[in-house]
Amino acid sequence: MSALIDYCYRSCPVYSLCLRWVVPVASDTTALADAPDAAPASSPQSDVVIETRNLSKIYRDFWGRRKVAALKSLDIEVRKGEIFGLLGPNGSGKSTTIKLILGLLFPTSGRVLVFDQDATETSKNERIGYLPEESYLYKFLTTDETLDFYGRLFDLSGAERKRRIDELVNLVGLQGARHRQLREYSKGMTRRVGLAQALINDPDLILLDEPTTGLDPIGTRDMKDLILSLRDQGKTILLCSHQLSDVQDVCDRVAILHQGELKELGKVSELLKVQDVTEVHARGLSDAAKTEIAEVIRRHGGTVESIDNPTTTMEDLFLNIVRESERRPGARRVSATEATIEKVASGSEGKS
Amino acid sequence: MTLQPEDFWSFSEWLMRPQSFLESALLQGIVLVVLAILLGLLLGYLVSAVRYGPSEGFYAVARAVRDLVRSDLPGTSARRIFALARLAYKEAIRRRVLVVVGLFVVGLLFAGWYLDPRSSNPAELYISFVLTATNFLILFLALFISTFSLPADIKSRTIYTIVTKPVRATEIVLGRMIGFVAVGTVMLVPMAIASYFFVTRGLRHDHEVVDIKDLGDGRFTGKLSYDQFHEHTFTMDAPAAPGEPALGTTDSVRGHRHVVRKMNDQFVVGEPVGALRARIPSYGTLAFTDRSGNIDTKGIDVGNEKERGGYGNAGVSRLVGVTGESNRLDYGYMEGGTLGSAIYTFYNVTPSRFPQEDGIPMEMALRAFRTIKGDIVSGLNGSITMRNPDDPKIESNPIPFVVQEYDVAEETLPRTIEGNDGNAVRVLDLFEDLVSDDGRLEVVIRCVDRQQYLGTTVSSVYLRPAESSFAWNLAKSYISIWLQMVMVIAFGVMFSTFLSGPVALVATFACVLLGFMAEQVYDMRYHLDRGEDMGGGPIESMVRMVRQDAMTTELDVDAVAGKIIKTIDAAIVYSLDAIATSLPNLPKMVGTAEYAASGYDIFNSLLARHAVATFGYVIIAFLIGYFFLKTREIAA
Repeated sequence: MSALIDYCYRSCPVYSLCLRWVVPVASDTTALADAPDAAPASSPQSDVVIETRNLSKIYRDFWGRRKVAALKSLDIEVRKGEIFGLLGPNGSGKSTTIKLILGLLFPTSGRVLVFDQDATETSKNERIGYLPEESYLYKFLTTDETLDFYGRLFDLSGAERKRRIDELVNLVGLQGARHRQLREYSKGMTRRVGLAQALINDPDLILLDEPTTGLDPIGTRDMKDLILSLRDQGKTILLCSHQLSDVQDVCDRVAILHQGELKELGKVSELLKVQDVTEVHARGLSDAAKTEIAEVIRRHGGTVESIDNPTTTMEDLFLNIVRESERRPGARRVSATEATIEKVASGSEGKS
Repeated sequence: MTLQPEDFWSFSEWLMRPQSFLESALLQGIVLVVLAILLGLLLGYLVSAVRYGPSEGFYAVARAVRDLVRSDLPGTSARRIFALARLAYKEAIRRRVLVVVGLFVVGLLFAGWYLDPRSSNPAELYISFVLTATNFLILFLALFISTFSLPADIKSRTIYTIVTKPVRATEIVLGRMIGFVAVGTVMLVPMAIASYFFVTRGLRHDHEVVDIKDLGDGRFTGKLSYDQFHEHTFTMDAPAAPGEPALGTTDSVRGHRHVVRKMNDQFVVGEPVGALRARIPSYGTLAFTDRSGNIDTKGIDVGNEKERGGYGNAGVSRLVGVTGESNRLDYGYMEGGTLGSAIYTFYNVTPSRFPQEDGIPMEMALRAFRTIKGDIVSGLNGSITMRNPDDPKIESNPIPFVVQEYDVAEETLPRTIEGNDGNAVRVLDLFEDLVSDDGRLEVVIRCVDRQQYLGTTVSSVYLRPAESSFAWNLAKSYISIWLQMVMVIAFGVMFSTFLSGPVALVATFACVLLGFMAEQVYDMRYHLDRGEDMGGGPIESMVRMVRQDAMTTELDVDAVAGKIIKTIDAAIVYSLDAIATSLPNLPKMVGTAEYAASGYDIFNSLLARHAVATFGYVIIAFLIGYFFLKTREIAA
C-alpha cells in the first residue's frame, strides 16, 4: 500500500517541487563548508547530528506584521557525542533555536536538519529526548503514570516501559514519590520527572532547555554529572542556559548568541584560555619562596599580577557542608567556617 | 407524534434516494467532504502564503497533504492513540466531571415534585423529561470538555512534551476524540440506568379494590381506589379452570391498565402495565378520496395545518435551488357522510407476521375537526372497511368505531368478517379473501358523521406486528444521545486545534445552534427566493423592529438603502443556508427521544442513518483538525 502511495506520489509533477522543501539534500556540502565553525575539519559528515543552515526566525503578529527578528542567519553544527551549549542573555534566541530544532516552530527562512531529516519530520523524535525550560507535565498524573504515558508515545511495549521506568526513577532519585501526583511535587522534583521523561526512549540526542533552573546545588551537581555520564555513553547533548558556570563545567563547545545573532562559536577550553597569562599552582611555599618566584618572573620580563591563595567555589563549599552534615547528622559546625574552608581548599586543589 | 416523509426512508433509500439522487445523503456527504478539502487547502494556502510567501506557502500545504497520506496515516499507532485517549480521560475524570452525574441523580430525586402526576400520559412526560435532561446535559458537557483541553495544553505548553515525541497530529486529534467519548460514555451509562429506574419506579403505583359487584357465574365487576389522581373500573371473568386464579383487567386510564387477580377470596391489584411500550408499527401508504369518491393525494386542508418546515430532507437539491418547497407532512381530512375516505394500503400482511388468533392489531391516532357542535359528549363516529387491493369488489362490512382524540386507539382487524366477495354476502377470511396474493391489504377509513371531518397522516394508522421491549427502546434513545455527543465532541476537538478554548466553545455552540435553527434559515431563504416580504434577513428585520414596521409590508426606506440592506441580507442568508445545510441535523437526532416517549420503537434504520452521518462528520472533523494542527506552529 505504502509502495503504491509512494509511486503515485513520485509520478506526481508536484513532487519535484515538494522535493526541495521536504527531502534533505545530502549532497549540498557548500553550506557545511561555509559554516563558521571552529571544530576540526576532519570530522566525518555523518557525525553531524544537528545542522542549521542560514536559520532565521521572525515572529509576526496575528495580521502577519513583523514583530521581532528572534534569530538571524544561524549556522551551527552539533556533532555526535559532544555537549554543545547555547549561551546568551534572555531574548537572545536560545529557546527559539531549540524550538526550531524540535519543529515546534517553523523557520522563516533557512532550514534545520536533525539526523539528516527536516526538523518538522515526526519520525526524528524517535531518537530525541527533550527537557523543556519548565517541566510542562500533566499535574494530575503520578510519576509512574507520567513515565508510562510518555513511554507509550514511543510505542514501547509494556515490559520495556516497566524496565525503563524503574531504571529512570532510580536514576533521578524519585523512588519514594512514585505514586504521588505531580501537583504535590516541589519544583526540583518536577524537574527530575521532566528529565526522566526526556530519557524514557534512551535517546541519541538530548535537548536540555535550562536544565539546572529550579534545582538546588546538589541537584545541579547531579544534573551536571548526569549530563557528563550521558555524553560518556555516546549521546549528543544540546543545552541552553544562562548559568554560565554550568555551561563552563560541562560543555565541550558553545555558541554565544546575542539579539538573535551568533557572536562566538568554539571549544570551551580554547575560548576561555587567556593566551598571555600563565598560571602556576604549587603547594607548601614559604613567603620567601614566593618573593623569589616573583623576582624570577620580573627578571624574565613578565609582570606579576598576583601571588595569592586560591579560593574555592561556593558550590564546592555548599556541597561539602551538606555531605559533612549527612555523614554526621546533628553535629554543630557554627564556628567552624574557617576550618572548613581550609579543609575544603586543601581537599579540592584540583578544582580551582 | 407525526412522522415526516424522511422518517419512512429505509437506510438505503436515505443513502441513495433512488428516484432523486440530488436529495441523497451520500451526495450531500461527498459534496461536504470535497468542499471541506478544497476550502481547507485554499484557506491553508492563503494563511501560509501570508506567513511564508506564495511559493513557500504552497510547499507547506503540499507537505501537510503528503505527510497525511505517506507517513501520518500509515504511521498512526493504536498504542499512542490509546495513551492519548487515556490521558484525556484521566484529565477529565480527575477534574471531577463525574460530579455532573451526581447532580443529574440529585435532579432526578427532586424532579418527581415538578412532573405533573395529573397529566393524561405520565409515561410520556417522565420519559421525555429524562431524555431531554440527559440530552442537553451531555451535549453541554461534551461542549466543555472537548473545547478546553487542547488549548489549555497549548497554553500551558504541556503539548511541547507531546509533540516532541514521535506523536502524529492524527493521533493527537483521534486520541482526544476517543478519550472524551469515553468520558461521555462513562457518564451517560449511569445516567441512562438512573433514568430507567426513575421512569419505571416513578410510574409504579397501587390501588385497592373498593367496590365489588358479583355478576354471578364467578364473574365480577368493581372499582379501584382513587390513587395518583385517577381511578379504574375492572371486570373479571370466571377462572379458566377450577383451582386457577380468576383474572380481570381494568380499563385503560392514563395509558395503563392493572391486572386484578382473585385468590382465596382476596382481590389483588397488580402493577400498572402498558404504560411503557415500544410498539413496532408497520406503516402503509395513504391516498384520499374526495367527497365524490375521486382519488386525491392530500385530503382536505381544514386550515392552520400547513406549518412551515421539512426542507431539510431535500439535501443538496434545495441548496442548488432545484427544489425549494416545504416538504412537510400535514394532516389531511376526509369529509363525513360523503364518499370521502382515507385509503391505507399495507404491505407484507401474512399469517406468519400476524399470528394472533383474533386478528391483526391496528392502531389509530386520528384527529377530529368539527364544523358543527353536534353531539359534543360522544366522539365522532368512523368506520373501517377492509378491501382486497387486487379486486376492490371484495370488501368487508364496515367496522364502526368512535374516535378517541389525542390518544392511540387500539383496534383489531378480525380474522373472519362478514362481507361481500363481489357476488354474494358471506363470511370472508382476512388472509384468504381480503389480502391480495402478494400480501397487500387495503383499509378504508371513513367519517360517518355529516359535516364533521376526520384527519389523518401516513403515520396515524398502522398495523402492529410486534412489540419491542421498553428497556431496549430507551437504550436506543440513549444511543442516539451518545451519537449526538460524539458529533459535538468531534466538532469541539476540531475547533480547539486552531482556536482558543472559549472561542472554540462558542464556535462549536454556534454550530449546534445553527443545526437546531436550520429549518428557520431554510424558511428564510424560501421567502427570499420567492421574493416574499416576510420580515427579510437579519438587517432588514432589525430595521423593521426599530421602525415598528409590520412584517409583510414593503420595506419603507429609500431605494438605495433598501437595495443595500437586501443585498447584505441575501449574502448572509445564503451563506447561513449553505453552512446550515452542511451541519449535522441535530434536531432530527434529538427527535428520536419522541419515539420512546410516545411509546414507539425507534426504527433501526433511523439509528443506522444517524450512526453513519455521525461517522461521516467525525471523519471530516478529524481531517480538518489534523490539517490545522499539522500546519500550526505549536510554540508560536
